[in-house]
Amino acid sequence: MNYNIISYSIYIPIIFFIMIYVGWLFYKHGELFLLNLFQDETLVKSINNLLLIGYYLVNLGYAIITIAYWEVINSIPEMLNTLSHHLGIIIIGLAVLHYNNVLCLTYLVKSKSLKQ
Amino acid sequence: MENSKIIIGYLIYLPVVIALTIYVSKMLFKNGRLFMIDIFKGKEDIALATNKLFEIGFYLINIGWAMLILKISYYSINGMSYQTLIEILSKKIGGFSIYLGVMLFINLFFFFRGRRISRQNKGNTPPQLQNS
Repeated sequence: MNYNIISYSIYIPIIFFIMIYVGWLFYKHGELFLLNLFQDETLVKSINNLLLIGYYLVNLGYAIITIAYWEVINSIPEMLNTLSHHLGIIIIGLAVLHYNNVLCLTYLVKSKSLKQ
Repeated sequence: MENSKIIIGYLIYLPVVIALTIYVSKMLFKNGRLFMIDIFKGKEDIALATNKLFEIGFYLINIGWAMLILKISYYSINGMSYQTLIEILSKKIGGFSIYLGVMLFINLFFFFRGRRISRQNKGNTPPQLQNS
């Protein structure tokens, strides 16, 4: 058992937990905004489901793919360094995507309310 | 015994990928029924038939692509270590998952587009629709 495999088995549960939890939060709280845009409850539910699945596929896929480009690890401090580095990159990426989403949503809601 | 790890890799890769495809397309077309009914203006039988046809197409494209990228080409004098196996598998499964997500979003885009177009037509020509 080398350090690389240990760090993979630490990395995967942490990142999956964070991504699934964040996605679920977006799913729960984003429904109101979508309801504001579409005004049809069953349609909004199906759109929301599909968006959640797409989010999971793309983000978990990216999280898994980073494993292929992991550097060689020789000691425990090095393992902690690389783990925190990779986790940090992914969490910052999530934050950027999230703010982008919020901006898009506010823009859509604003343009919709201007039209009416 | 050089190749045994590659075969283990295939045995992990294929079930994961096929299960992922089936799950995603089931969810996509379960939720896409509403869009289809909207697009075909409430004619339920033709909407459901189209939905089924699209579902079959989705299966064919994605499972075909998964099979196409199956091959693991890795040669080394020392054989393959478990670490290399995990890394290769992660590249394949992660790449396939991102590809599937992109396909899902493209499909969703088509749903929205069809719905918007059918709405515009409805707004322009309501009397003809009622006559026919």
